Amino acid sequence: MISGSHLLGDYTDRFWFPESASTFSDQVDSTFMLVLWICIFFMVPITFALVYFTIRFMKKKGEPAESQVSHNTPLEIAWSILPSFLLVWIFAKGALGYIDQQQVPDNADTLAVKAFKWGWAVDYGGGVIHPELHILNDQPTQLTMRSSDVIHSLFIPAFRVKRDIVPGRFNDMWFHPKVASQRVSDEDLEQAWADAKENNDGVFDREKYQFTEDGYRFHDLYCTEYCGKDHSKMQTVVVVHETREDLNAWIKKYSVRPDGVLPAEYGKLLYERRGCGSCHSLDGSRRVGPSFLGGFGSDREFTDGTKGKVDEAYIRESIIEPKALVVSGYNPVMPSYKGQLSDDDIDSIIAFLKSLSE
Amino acid sequence: MAEHTVGRSRGFNPGAISDSDNYLKNSTGVLSWACTLDHKRIGLMYLVGILTSFFGGGLLALGIRAHLFTPSGALFADNDTYNQVFTLHGAIMVFLFIIPSIPAALGNFLVPVMLGAKDVAFPRLNLSSFYLWVIGALFFVGALMGTGLDTGWTFYTPYSTTTETSVILATLGAFVLGFSSIFTGLNFIVTINTMRPPGMTWFKMPLFLWATYSTSIIQVLATPVLGITLLLLIAERTMHIGIFDPEFNGDPVTYQHFFWFYSHPAVYIMILPAFGIISELISVHSHKHIFGYRFIAYSSIAIALLGFLVWGHHMFTSGMSSLTTIIFSALTFTVSIPSAIKVFNWLATLYKGSISLTTPMCYAIAFLFLFTIGGLTGLFLGVLSVDLHLHDTYFIVAHFHYVMMGGTMIAFLGGLFHWWPKMTGKMFSELGGQISCLIVFLGFNITFLPQFVLGSRGMPRRYATYDPEFAFLHQVSSVGAFILGIGLLIAGVVLLYSLFNGKQAPPNPWGGVTLEWQCTSPPPYYNFSRPPVVGDPYDFTGLGWDEDAENYIFLNPIESPDEASEKVPAQQPAHAGGQE
Repeated sequence: MISGSHLLGDYTDRFWFPESASTFSDQVDSTFMLVLWICIFFMVPITFALVYFTIRFMKKKGEPAESQVSHNTPLEIAWSILPSFLLVWIFAKGALGYIDQQQVPDNADTLAVKAFKWGWAVDYGGGVIHPELHILNDQPTQLTMRSSDVIHSLFIPAFRVKRDIVPGRFNDMWFHPKVASQRVSDEDLEQAWADAKENNDGVFDREKYQFTEDGYRFHDLYCTEYCGKDHSKMQTVVVVHETREDLNAWIKKYSVRPDGVLPAEYGKLLYERRGCGSCHSLDGSRRVGPSFLGGFGSDREFTDGTKGKVDEAYIRESIIEPKALVVSGYNPVMPSYKGQLSDDDIDSIIAFLKSLSE
Repeated sequence: MAEHTVGRSRGFNPGAISDSDNYLKNSTGVLSWACTLDHKRIGLMYLVGILTSFFGGGLLALGIRAHLFTPSGALFADNDTYNQVFTLHGAIMVFLFIIPSIPAALGNFLVPVMLGAKDVAFPRLNLSSFYLWVIGALFFVGALMGTGLDTGWTFYTPYSTTTETSVILATLGAFVLGFSSIFTGLNFIVTINTMRPPGMTWFKMPLFLWATYSTSIIQVLATPVLGITLLLLIAERTMHIGIFDPEFNGDPVTYQHFFWFYSHPAVYIMILPAFGIISELISVHSHKHIFGYRFIAYSSIAIALLGFLVWGHHMFTSGMSSLTTIIFSALTFTVSIPSAIKVFNWLATLYKGSISLTTPMCYAIAFLFLFTIGGLTGLFLGVLSVDLHLHDTYFIVAHFHYVMMGGTMIAFLGGLFHWWPKMTGKMFSELGGQISCLIVFLGFNITFLPQFVLGSRGMPRRYATYDPEFAFLHQVSSVGAFILGIGLLIAGVVLLYSLFNGKQAPPNPWGGVTLEWQCTSPPPYYNFSRPPVVGDPYDFTGLGWDEDAENYIFLNPIESPDEASEKVPAQQPAHAGGQE
């Protein structure tokens, strides 16, 4: 439909801002512009005076200055006090906007978000956990956020919201989206999937097509607190659904292993969706944790000095209680997935690991 | 007034210096430098050290900008390398360059001379603080040579307690550097309190000394908190004492409070001495009395004290209570007033002056423009609702580079050019210096102006790779960084060239009346043979320009009785003039 840079997420023709897509956006943008005009109000005369005085009063060395006036108390008091009124104004406007962002309406939807190195897991209830944030248009939504490792920060530029996610705490944020995400045509979606299968090993690169693997346009969601190696890849997307039916249909699609999908295939999907790949490679290379390639069935030495075989029971224990037996040479940094993966999910992951060792 | 341009024969001129008196030449050999107690030699050694650090940190910055030329990263093989490079860039620039730059290098040289004293109060402590700086720097080099450091210069927990890189080595380095900073501050406080010459009341001190004094207060009061924080961090990492790491019932936000309680005042450790330099430069090169001396002096103290109350504005998004957050926002705005006062006063000093557009003055004017942008963009970040959007984006990166680099680094360069003839006894190429200033100014703005827009459009900081919609602005910024690098290189070449081929500097090439201009260039190792007589440090009426020697001379030296008798008596008593 539209080409070039317009395709890019949240891109607009406005100079200062990305797309404005929540009720906070206009408030933040108007306050930003107010401060900007105040800055211009000071900057222009200061720059003018600086340049004009420099040129006007440039003199040959040795010529005395026209004046040696050392102070003017009323003038100095005036320029000390008068700008304060502007400061009070912008402080108040900013504080009021901030208070708005702290008061969650009673009718807000609530979603639990978990951040980890380096990905996101949004809990839609009923065992559906997905990295993308899907919400309903014109419906206040609250995120209850926690981190399983280090500090992260959730930032949605199009909504003008940001909040750190501190391990050991629950931090909340809320917003009220007001623009629904468009869906691309089924043709475009099929084309993109065909391209992904042909050129990218079946992995769907949403940055390339600028829509999600389900065909929705999106807003960017970034991690903005430095969290290590792949901080800059810790991105996901926000999709705003037009109707609750549409949202529920999307959630249902991800609720369980669909009929006819083999456990090993579904295990691979879980591997991608739940971010296992941040720490466990599939090609044998060393990341934060051991590679999955050839892992199943191998003999391992653990940090407590014992030895053992990687079998179904060990993998299951490593998911539920990762710090019980850690392969030597690695640090006990993996968070527990207890309660976040169903028995069928774990079976599927085990099946996927087995398939890598065949 | 034509009679102010006079021949070489009249007036007071300290003249040239003999090799046996010259502090650079009165003793030779490595040990005469390594074991020196002379504040001027220690200042020069600091200068060499911090300029080396600046060069290293600058190369890392160019590496960062080269990498960010393309969205997927153009230079470094992986994200780990990028993370280590930006961490070391920040840590080196903050701990090894900006914090010690003006106080330790220029301050060490200038404080005693401006006071008409022979040295600082505790010369041995002074030398030991230099060696602490060297040891701290070696720790950083050790971290670099070892497994690197990838925590960001802020060492936020629990990332810093779990990463495999050399956190302990680097934090020990910062700990040792902290003591270097405390010793320097302590030394200056005692020196300024006890060693002012007869007649130099508090309000007859040069403003550079006021700025140094305010800085020293912060160094002595705030730096110990950094030391405590870093020791607790090491204890948490090695012994899991459970204060900062949530896995052992600690709280990461507690670490942030501890860290910023030092590191926000540290921002004023960096910028206050720059204010001091600019007050000197603007006044001397305008040949006009500084406007509003008392307001400038008091605003330095006000900034030093208010700076202790605003650390929370680094944590607006971290989940403090709403009330705390709003109070910190309100306090933050109070700091902007004293900074604005200074800018207005400097502009008023230019008005009706006799401006010489020398290299130091060019840098001072560049400072006024850049620092005003840096200060004003701080308003966006103090406004709470806007900060939630801008926090941890490139807007912050642009803002603090305008303050730290456009402010402190430019003022440092201006001060370096201003006092270079005094420190080395050599004049540099004025044209070369002016060209360097122009290129630095242009390069700086091309580098950092686009980053404001990047930030407000949502580009997060500390990203090794980024979304393609940000590519154009990143590319402009990268081009600017290399222009800036060329400008700084030219400045370095101009100064180095002058060491070997520069003309012998006259005692007072710019027309200053503070005491350092009343001794030879370079000063003798004892600075003054007897305590100099002190007047108003910004009264330029008694100076005349000696065209042949390119030197300003004191027309009415108090040392010469026959000259003094010709002086017209004052029309009113000194105290009636308020500030006189």
